[in-house]
Amino acid sequence: MREVAIIGVGHTKFGRLNDKSLLDLLCEASLEAIEDSNTSNTDFDSVYVASMLAETLNHMTGVASALVDRIGLLPAAADHIKNGPASGGSAIKNAFYAIASGACELVLVSGAEKMTHITLPGGVTSAVATMTHHNAERIHGASLPSFAGLLTRSYMEKYNVPKEWITSIAVKNHRNGLNNPYAHFQKEITLKKAMESPIIADPLQLYDICPISDGAAAIVMCDANIAKKYCDSPILITGVGQATDTHIIYEREDVTVLNALRICSKQAYDMAKKTPNDIDVFEAHDAFTILEAIQSEDIGFFKKGEGAKAAHEGLTEIGGKIPINPSGGLKARGHPLGATGVAQVIELVWQLRGEAGKRQVADADTGITCNFGGFGNNIVSILVERM
Amino acid sequence: MNSKERIEWKKCNNCGFLQYPTHLRCLKCKSKDFILVETSSVCNLLSYTILNAPPAEFRNQKSLALGIVEFENGIRALGQISSKEDLEIGMKLKPIYKKICENLDGSEVYTHIFEPI
Repeated sequence: MREVAIIGVGHTKFGRLNDKSLLDLLCEASLEAIEDSNTSNTDFDSVYVASMLAETLNHMTGVASALVDRIGLLPAAADHIKNGPASGGSAIKNAFYAIASGACELVLVSGAEKMTHITLPGGVTSAVATMTHHNAERIHGASLPSFAGLLTRSYMEKYNVPKEWITSIAVKNHRNGLNNPYAHFQKEITLKKAMESPIIADPLQLYDICPISDGAAAIVMCDANIAKKYCDSPILITGVGQATDTHIIYEREDVTVLNALRICSKQAYDMAKKTPNDIDVFEAHDAFTILEAIQSEDIGFFKKGEGAKAAHEGLTEIGGKIPINPSGGLKARGHPLGATGVAQVIELVWQLRGEAGKRQVADADTGITCNFGGFGNNIVSILVERM
Repeated sequence: MNSKERIEWKKCNNCGFLQYPTHLRCLKCKSKDFILVETSSVCNLLSYTILNAPPAEFRNQKSLALGIVEFENGIRALGQISSKEDLEIGMKLKPIYKKICENLDGSEVYTHIFEPI
């Protein structure tokens, strides 16, 4: 396989962006990534667009075809990749193999979601809940927040963990987000305020849950052999992995274990010939605080049951043993579904280039992501290194 | 209970693995040879939550209690719990069959819920 490099990135502000459509956001991030990669006068072979709910929330199909037309990339191949909230990671994985196989040389990945215009109460939550198993879960009233509530209680009971340790993850991510100019929230919160926030799915509280956001993120990838032609500091993708788990969460032997993450991160580590000890920074998928805790365990940084404790003790802060979500994570950066997996990789690119400003992790050479589809039933990990 | 009201899982005739009945091939060994297994009448509460933002189908309820339970023979299920108070992991429950909501088109949804014993 050929080596694959990231040579440019583009990231819109995440948040409530009233005057921009889904396509506007995709175009903005894509053009920025093209400019950043000095490929403005170059033909692309392929474009992968990630968006989970374009049909449902934006009444739009053919998003990838529309994007290449609008930004002048005809006749590049264009595909719309859908893997729930892991659509971004899946799009990057597909682009990686297109280049690694030798089929493509220059590829654009662009992920976006436009969600905040949906005013119907519970409208977005219901659309997202269509990922769950109809008969086994959905008809009973189960939504993703209710799964996170069930999981939080199981984890607290099994490992004897106080709720404060789990919620401290939200406090840390808001503190990191303060220094991310693209984040949905640039505001610190206190643990006291988070612990007093309304209970949504007991014991899960409002401040344990990421927001609904608009936004887009794009990267330009190419054959690493030609990367230096475009860019002084290319970042290599040296490991990718993807794995699935049961659709029904309670069919898993232990609901606190993310088996798909164990498998896909091992694939990424093995491909890159790395171990968790080699990783300097981790972008987790903290749609709910509990997910960052258990992801930090199943991706190999902490023993089972010790992820929330590690966060509480400061081991996952910037400057800690393994900094997690210096970007602010989904909690503070926001979660425009299709954009998230791409934004995670962009944060790692900025960290590895040394361009992360006040949230810079010192001497970051290697990073990994967890992009989480369904409720852990389809997970993608991307491992990146400095060239 | 009539057949609709039973909670039934499939047991693989080849490897014995117990699984939700929508699987067409065994999750462990890919066999298509299953027998149906019924639950016993008593189950244990494995985890629960009180959801204060119920989906639109439950528009007449401010909150709902949801639990994951396990029966003695290993079958698991998710469903609402009839009480929101004094819930505790490990407590004994029994399934009952009833109307739980009306869909937005007015059609009625009947399924199991769990009642503390």
